[in-house]
Amino acid sequence: MTELLNMMIIDGLSFALPLFIMAIGGIYSEKSGITNLALEGFQGVGAFTGAFAAVFLAQSMTGALPYYVSFLCAIIGGGVFALLHALLCIRFRANQVISGVVMNILAMAMTTFLTKRINAAVFGHAGNKFLLGTSARFTVPVLSDIPVLGAVFTDVYPFEVIILVVAVVMSYVLYRTPFGLRLRACGDNPHSVDAAGVDVNRVRSVAVVISGCLSGIAGMSFAYSISANFSADIYLGYGYLSIAALIFGNWTILPAFGACLLFGLARSGGTVLIQQLGLPSSYNDLVRILPYVLTLVLLIFFSRSNRSPRALGEPYEKGKR
Amino acid sequence: MNEQEFIVEMRGITKRFPGITANDGVSIQIRKGEIYAILGENGAGKSTLMSMLFGMIEPDEGEIFIRGKRERIDSPRRATQLSIGMVHQHFRLVSNYTVAENIILGMEPEKKCGPFPMVDIAGANAKVAALSERYGLQVDPTDVIEDLNVATRQRVEILKMLYREAEILIFDEPTAVLTPQEIAAFLDIVRGLRDQGKTVILITHKLEEIKQVADRCAILNRGKLISVMDVASSTTSDMARMMVGHEVSFSTPKAPPHFGSPVLRLENLTVKNAAGFNSVNSVSFEVRAGEVLGIAGVSGNGQNELADAIAGLQRCHGGKIILNGRDISNLSIRERVEAGVAYIPEDRHNVGLVLDFTLRDNLMLKQYYRARFAHRHVMDEIAFDEYGKELIGRYDIRSNQGDATITRSMSGGNQQKAVIARELDLKTPLVVFMQPTRGLDAGAVSNIHRQIIAERDRGAAVLLISLDLDEILDCSDTIAIIFQGHINKIAPAASLTVEEIGLYMMGVKGGEAA
Repeated sequence: MTELLNMMIIDGLSFALPLFIMAIGGIYSEKSGITNLALEGFQGVGAFTGAFAAVFLAQSMTGALPYYVSFLCAIIGGGVFALLHALLCIRFRANQVISGVVMNILAMAMTTFLTKRINAAVFGHAGNKFLLGTSARFTVPVLSDIPVLGAVFTDVYPFEVIILVVAVVMSYVLYRTPFGLRLRACGDNPHSVDAAGVDVNRVRSVAVVISGCLSGIAGMSFAYSISANFSADIYLGYGYLSIAALIFGNWTILPAFGACLLFGLARSGGTVLIQQLGLPSSYNDLVRILPYVLTLVLLIFFSRSNRSPRALGEPYEKGKR
Repeated sequence: MNEQEFIVEMRGITKRFPGITANDGVSIQIRKGEIYAILGENGAGKSTLMSMLFGMIEPDEGEIFIRGKRERIDSPRRATQLSIGMVHQHFRLVSNYTVAENIILGMEPEKKCGPFPMVDIAGANAKVAALSERYGLQVDPTDVIEDLNVATRQRVEILKMLYREAEILIFDEPTAVLTPQEIAAFLDIVRGLRDQGKTVILITHKLEEIKQVADRCAILNRGKLISVMDVASSTTSDMARMMVGHEVSFSTPKAPPHFGSPVLRLENLTVKNAAGFNSVNSVSFEVRAGEVLGIAGVSGNGQNELADAIAGLQRCHGGKIILNGRDISNLSIRERVEAGVAYIPEDRHNVGLVLDFTLRDNLMLKQYYRARFAHRHVMDEIAFDEYGKELIGRYDIRSNQGDATITRSMSGGNQQKAVIARELDLKTPLVVFMQPTRGLDAGAVSNIHRQIIAERDRGAAVLLISLDLDEILDCSDTIAIIFQGHINKIAPAASLTVEEIGLYMMGVKGGEAA
């Protein structure tokens, strides 16, 4: 029984944390006033860039370095791709929902195509994926011996630590620094920010790029944990799930973390249940819908009390009264 | 004298927008430490002129000197550096932030958290408290903006300027949104600011306020500077004449009324508000054809609910509304329009107009479905166009792109003209005016008052609900006074004195009328 509970916690966390870091990215973007449905695409492009770097470096290097470099590249890849969303939404005042959806379609098509071409041209073999293998894990001595909670410190992926550190830093920046104060103000009343002599569009652009960077970390994490490779399978809708999490969290970081944990545990708990009942593994697909069913149920309860940022989705125009 | 005499000097300022010259060679000079009013009708170019001083737009021609030095003010940021501050008509506050967070936004005091910088919220609160103490502007730094009333928000905007050490303070129509008591308090604040050495610029069209606080007053009309007057030695009627460009009569000329049969009859009308409280409590009265019935009262005594119930925006919870002998209490809004109710609502932005529609479409809102404008459920654009142009001409609605103008971009006075044109052209037996001149300038006010009288003379029954007692006295044949949802008194206008009405409004006298 403890064994099962441990498994549920370990797998739940390794799924919840990437969702969480992506949700923080979404919070940055939406709190600044830019609707962001493009998280899905951002994490995909991030994973693609990171996986390419990892595979490329693995040709000449061994050890842990390619692993960490891949995350750095995923951050850069996600951020650069997010610039496109920022450009469309801010400079060209495109409809932010449409731009977000286009980003997702573009990301999937582009990375699938490029993966095949790069495999052929750089690595000299045919294939539509970059093979990574799953990440090594570690267990913290002593702490992992605590009953129940010890599972949190057992079989931890290194990226989980990276995510927690980044999450703390990003919370600090958003809620404690002048930049964060201005960013959150942009999502409520950009006119007040402009009147205070701060460039609204610059703050928003930075926020969108940050959402791309954080999504990159998430995408890379999924690639190293769930699929053990980079392929079109990375686009499974986790980006949308993190949007659901940030909405349930009322656009604030800590409650969004709670929502991500819930999604993670629902998923791992379902898997454990299927195994326990001895059902065929095809039922695992049924379990994967659990987080989404949960989303629908939660929507009923949270829709009324949650309030989106007031200026969300509106391009900023100086003159408008 | 030396160049320090004028803290602000604007020379030959011209600004053109598509289809309109907003400012035409305007030159003004403002002394340090004075209260300088800029007076003009809606659309005279007051706000445009001050937007250029604050760097929101740049002039096409002309020069601006600050403290005797020529400056190019290309952004609000530059204006702030020159210690110019502005409170806009629509406040620029972050609704879910505290007072202090709003004030420090963009110029945050910082402290260190280990090696990392962070916003010093405690320090900000202390600074704001000190500022509010020093200038006598009562606010609690930790209150959240969305919980505050308009007057307090305005004080936050003033503190924002003072926090940035502004010396030149521009106010755009500061009293338009305030109650009479709040206006008095605001004028005290303005005097206080002057006494502390600040230079205050007031954009307004309210002569009374200028008379009370301003030292000098520049008058603009259609973009041109007409005159700069010394307020102490001028009368309000001089200023009004200059502002409008012709003599303004403060009372509307009208012939004796000819009353016909009753058009609107309320029988024990009761309306509850959201909390279940009887906002309108068993009200009964009649309005006859050819009569203006004015309802006077202090704000919040059931006026809004009464008007909304008659127009159909709110449900009646008891009693009857009878129009020409027919009970309309349970009819839908459109059925009431067809039965003959026209309604000019108080809130033209949210109730009267769809701001992002064109002027033409707004003019059509109550008639688009009628046979003249729609054939087999398809709207007839040509008929729309003709009708829109006709109304624009007949009611003198001014806008820069004719009937295709987006309503949001029009001035308040012209927006109100559009609402009035749409409603009056229905030629209904009953017209309900709710605060029809709120926020409008003297010229527009007297114009609307003439229209109210014209409706009466056409034979319509007119119900005029207003918080402005002068307006009630000016237009009404019969006056009813509402207090806590009751009609406290109803009598011919000529039989009541202002003092008496005041006593009924406060509930000191009354109870004798049904």
